[in-house]
Amino acid sequence: MEALLTVAGSDYSRGMTSADTDKVTDEEAWIRRAKRSDAQAFEALYRLHVGKVYGLCLRMTGNVSEAEDCTQEAFIQAWNKMARFRGDSAFSTWLHRIAVNAVLGRIRKSTRERDRIAAVADVEPARVATGDTGELRDLAEAIDRLPERARHIFVLNAVYGYSHEEAAGMLGIAAGTSKAQLHRARRLLMQQLESEGFRV
Amino acid sequence: MTQEFDDKLDRAARQLATEVAPQRDLWPDIASAMAAPGRSRWTPMFAQAAAVVLLVGASSAITYVAVKNDQAPVVSIEPQLVFEQASFGGNYHLGPDFQAARNGLRAELDAELARLSPEASADIRANLDQIHTAIADINKVLEQEPGNALLQQKLLRAYTEELSLLNRVGGLTRDVMMRNDI
Repeated sequence: MEALLTVAGSDYSRGMTSADTDKVTDEEAWIRRAKRSDAQAFEALYRLHVGKVYGLCLRMTGNVSEAEDCTQEAFIQAWNKMARFRGDSAFSTWLHRIAVNAVLGRIRKSTRERDRIAAVADVEPARVATGDTGELRDLAEAIDRLPERARHIFVLNAVYGYSHEEAAGMLGIAAGTSKAQLHRARRLLMQQLESEGFRV
Repeated sequence: MTQEFDDKLDRAARQLATEVAPQRDLWPDIASAMAAPGRSRWTPMFAQAAAVVLLVGASSAITYVAVKNDQAPVVSIEPQLVFEQASFGGNYHLGPDFQAARNGLRAELDAELARLSPEASADIRANLDQIHTAIADINKVLEQEPGNALLQQKLLRAYTEELSLLNRVGGLTRDVMMRNDI
């Protein structure tokens, strides 16, 4: 239905399936409407992107309830900032940036909060919700055990494919720091996984 | 060996799920937050600027009324200490009346302090020194960032605290001892 509102077949849609094209054109229409404070259109955007946003939050926090809170916060902030979305980057990238900020904001809150997150994480491991199986589950658990900075960089760079510049921009650090943290993450993962007989 | 591990690790990392469905529907909470009335869209900077404008406006109005109703002239006393000239982003400065009142208070303060115990006197001087250091530091940064509303607010607060301290110690209750021409 929404696809009828937009002109399909523009350059970006080359090589896409018709389903992909419909998805993109739907998204563009929803974005335009959401920018005019259309909550229904924003819900459609939420349904389209919640998996990726929640997945990112879950990988970054390593905790289900924190990931849920961060996801909600990210979408609320996105709603409040909708009018400022200019389309310079993909909507999903823009949402990811907001989600990373939401995660960092929660982490910064207080040491007590972090202790609580750790306590909850002990009770409810992230692997329950990610859907990873077999050795990938071992890898996911090892990532959860990484120190905060190293984990964030590894998730953004190695799992979600953001460049060092993009990941550094999201986290507010230098690209060089991102590279150093990725190196650190890999060494720590190697120590953890090899001791567990992990064969990647 | 390390490079081989890194390559394998990267391949495995790319296989991890990037889309994960939440265990519960998060939309109802998001929708109610979106619909909540009174959610401010002001940025902190706008809020700070508004606070400064409000503070300066209210202070000016109070001072205007106080000066208008006060027939007693402010005694001008030659300053014993030279204070730095305050700058509010290059757009404002402390006027002569404020400076005169401030110096008058300071001159009387010296006499008051002489009557206090050495410990109390030292404490008060230490407090004043702290305020003066803060004023100097804020002014220094304001020279670099004249439009910084938060710093302007802090500077105003520092001057207010100084006057409040001088008033309390000296037991002075002049109406005019407010910022009246900033």
